[in-house]
Amino acid sequence: MRAIDNDPLFRKSIVFCAWTGFACIFFFIIGGVILGGMLPPLFNSAEPAQEFVRKVNENAFALRLGSAFMVLSFAMFGTLGAGIAAQTRRIETNPMFSIMQAIFAAAAMTVGVLVAFVWGLAAFRPELYHPSIIVTWIDFAYFMALFSVPLFGGWCVIIALPVFWSEEGKEPFPRWVAYANLWAALLYVPGMLIIFFKDGPFSWHGIVALWIPYIAYFGWIAVMSYALLAAVKQPGDEPVMKPATA
Amino acid sequence: MPDGIAETSVGAGTAVASSPTSAETPPQREHIPGEVGIWLFVAGDLIVFAVFFIVIALGHVQQPEVFAQARASLDMWVGVLNTLLLLTGSWFVAMGVDKCRGTGRSVASHYFSLAILCGVAFAANKTFEWGDKISAGLSPATNDFYMYFFIFTGIHLFHVLVGIGVLLLVRSVSRRPVLTQRDIATMESGATFWHLVDLLWIVLFALFYLL
Repeated sequence: MRAIDNDPLFRKSIVFCAWTGFACIFFFIIGGVILGGMLPPLFNSAEPAQEFVRKVNENAFALRLGSAFMVLSFAMFGTLGAGIAAQTRRIETNPMFSIMQAIFAAAAMTVGVLVAFVWGLAAFRPELYHPSIIVTWIDFAYFMALFSVPLFGGWCVIIALPVFWSEEGKEPFPRWVAYANLWAALLYVPGMLIIFFKDGPFSWHGIVALWIPYIAYFGWIAVMSYALLAAVKQPGDEPVMKPATA
Repeated sequence: MPDGIAETSVGAGTAVASSPTSAETPPQREHIPGEVGIWLFVAGDLIVFAVFFIVIALGHVQQPEVFAQARASLDMWVGVLNTLLLLTGSWFVAMGVDKCRGTGRSVASHYFSLAILCGVAFAANKTFEWGDKISAGLSPATNDFYMYFFIFTGIHLFHVLVGIGVLLLVRSVSRRPVLTQRDIATMESGATFWHLVDLLWIVLFALFYLL
């Protein structure tokens, strides 16, 4: 076993990945909350298409700028996810969960970036689009974000499992982090209800299907960023590097 | 220490007797079942379900007549049966954990099996209740009461199914020849989750069937 102090590049890389998690939250607050109108929702799933068009026209610049910040934010799912996978890899003899985590992180980043793309497209040239196209873009953005429960929830589960299954004292993260991941996965589940409802708490603008999964997800990012910063200080199972020859 | 439990960590797990005359013995802390993480999970889930309960209560305030009429169409005794099933299941789980902590561990897995049966019976009863309502033309689209009824009892049913999986794991752990303190903590954590499922149902039962 080699102490992490012997691999300063790895330590710095993980610290970088963890801070991209915090940056992801910061940029989402600017892009999705303050400017973009994703949360709290600027649009209402039950309102007529003309109302969508009016809101897009009135807020076109804020939506465009917001989508730019959101794409920056969501791209950081990849760096945070890579950091989590690398930390998991440290306790694996043969990598498996770390590979799955990297795949899920890449998919989550792709879906996230597409959410921001679609949000921006709705405000790109609304004067040319048929109103139903605007509604479709917004529906599409929320569906990708909320209906992807097996992706985002599955990611949490495969972060939790190696923690539970590790030998005592060799967990990649503390066990409370694993429980927090399972809890987050459970909170994403109501997002799948949006396909059945266009109004009320279970629609994509509702408290159960939108607010709970979104708060859980960005809360989860904060937890994992903090956990990465703490975990990187612990020794891992990396093979001992041969001493450099003079 | 009970037979078959290996002490692997100082200060964890069940209380260990200490000499009252020893001046260096630290004061014994009260035993908290399970792990810190499961209590984080419980607290978090309670917060989310509190939001659900507020949503139901707001619906009741905004549409009292719709809610009263729809509530009258529910069979209270189906809810009572489900409540009894979960309470009985919780008792079996508590007995199973107690047996694992003390002597008589050979029967512990039977208690967990009975608790699993209670969970399966709850799921079956809930399925029959839903089927009955749907065949009577009642669905989440009928009104807000039935929308909340199907969705929130559905989310709770999802918890029950997860809980059954957790109890299967707990039963498997209880059958190990030697139990470590970590095994005991795992079983206590699983039991705590099952009690949470029970608690959530009791509030849902009151909100949907009794008010």
